[in-house]
Amino acid sequence: MSPSRGGAVGATVLRPGVQSSVQDAGRRVRALGVPAGGAADPVARRLANALVGNAPDAAGLEVTLGGPTVLFHEAALISLCGAPFDATLDGAPLPLWRAVQVQTGQTLTVGGTARGLRAFLAVRGGLHGHEVFGSRATDLRAGFGGVQGRALRPGDHLTWSPLPAQAARRAFIAPDLRTPTGPHHELRVLGTGDLTADLRESLLARPFTVSPQADRMGARLTESVAAPRDPARPSVPNVPGLLQLPPDGRPILLLPDAGTHGGYPTPLVVITADLPRLGQLRPGDTLTLREVTREDAHAAHLTQERALRQAEWMLRQAVVSGK
Amino acid sequence: MPAPSGPDLPTFEWLGDAALNVRTLLARELYASLRAHPLPGVQEAVPALDLLTLLLDAPTAGEAVQETVAARLATLTPAPGGSGRTLVVPVTFDGPDLDWCAAHAGLDRAAFVAALCAAQLEVAFLGFTPGFAFLTGLPEPLRMPRLDAPRERVPAGSVALGGPWAGVYPRETPGGWRLVGRTPMNFFDLSRAAPVPWRPGDRVRFEARA
Repeated sequence: MSPSRGGAVGATVLRPGVQSSVQDAGRRVRALGVPAGGAADPVARRLANALVGNAPDAAGLEVTLGGPTVLFHEAALISLCGAPFDATLDGAPLPLWRAVQVQTGQTLTVGGTARGLRAFLAVRGGLHGHEVFGSRATDLRAGFGGVQGRALRPGDHLTWSPLPAQAARRAFIAPDLRTPTGPHHELRVLGTGDLTADLRESLLARPFTVSPQADRMGARLTESVAAPRDPARPSVPNVPGLLQLPPDGRPILLLPDAGTHGGYPTPLVVITADLPRLGQLRPGDTLTLREVTREDAHAAHLTQERALRQAEWMLRQAVVSGK
Repeated sequence: MPAPSGPDLPTFEWLGDAALNVRTLLARELYASLRAHPLPGVQEAVPALDLLTLLLDAPTAGEAVQETVAARLATLTPAPGGSGRTLVVPVTFDGPDLDWCAAHAGLDRAAFVAALCAAQLEVAFLGFTPGFAFLTGLPEPLRMPRLDAPRERVPAGSVALGGPWAGVYPRETPGGWRLVGRTPMNFFDLSRAAPVPWRPGDRVRFEARA
């Protein structure tokens, strides 16, 4: 915490929103059974952090479906990236995908969003939070990290690391860098050893609907397919974007808080370039799964990563050279 | 990677575009080696039984990683006797499935408990939930079929049997294994320097307490 002008520091949560939690780039201790965690839309996290001059893995607030209301006790440089949430600062519309200067005493209100599910609120300096295994990400299920291991509640206090203040500069983020927010999604996938001809036909040839069971662990789909049964199947490690097929045949797409190992068949994996889209899957959205080659997946990753890194670099320059 | 097949030769299998499954009888030794000396291109290594899943820094790192992992494996030899550590887990045997399990094993309750405490268990790998360990080494008669429908809540500290495995639920979660007892030991405690007390290769023994 930094001393500040004789008043309170940080910000107070007046209303928490539907589910707001401190997230960053997550942790890498799956070998201890600990899920990765971290912001479900990593593109939003990276660009929001770059806009305020933070490192790409700095902690911020992930907001879901309906956002929080936060009273700032000190000035801050913030940015909100992700789904097109309605947001205001003391009643005036707050632009998304911009660095915005907040003055002491101002109130940020993040409302709802008509499309998509999540956004990432970055604060210059990075939010504080309980650090566990090298990450401040909140593990809501296990109850650690972030603010007491849980989603925000009214009265919670947010603080951040002091960095030299910088003026917000106009910077433009190309819309095609942003994670698409539906209501229809096409996810590119690769098959695994579990992908049979039957599963290929039943999973790839039809639209699916995202069910209301969509959280940070996984997004369950509504329609079912004939699932292979193998009770003797050993538990094996999960990876991000895995499509799990439990015995009831309703597929589950795994998100960052998914358990580290699973025993169900996993015939498909979403390619790395499309993983951020999982964070924007909203109940009721439809999606189709399109099989691509590993070469396609590599090319898509390289294209996306090149564009993201260039944008991050330019945004940081804009902040560093600010004023 | 075209490689001649053989019982001890690793096989590599892509899992999506940014992870590789390495199937090898030396999975545990490879995991220990990668912890001691990380490989470039490998962000994280996650063990399972005779399997190590490597999460790559970038999708394009795969080909080079296969070569370096194969070279690393060629330098490793099986490490008999696991880690050399033994954890004694005190257990109160009063679980709701204890009598069912004893009957399934064809033993009375006391003989079943004695057999389970005599079993030389070993941590095969961790996973499922923070601090949960898959314990291998159950004698055949003590291997229990999983429940048809998982319990929605299994109390923290529950000692359980499922398929070839034994385990302890570190905290309350859903679970489909048969509950035979409970332990006061905490297997995920962030206030400790080492929040998770066991590692693959550790030997484990259950000890009946009153």
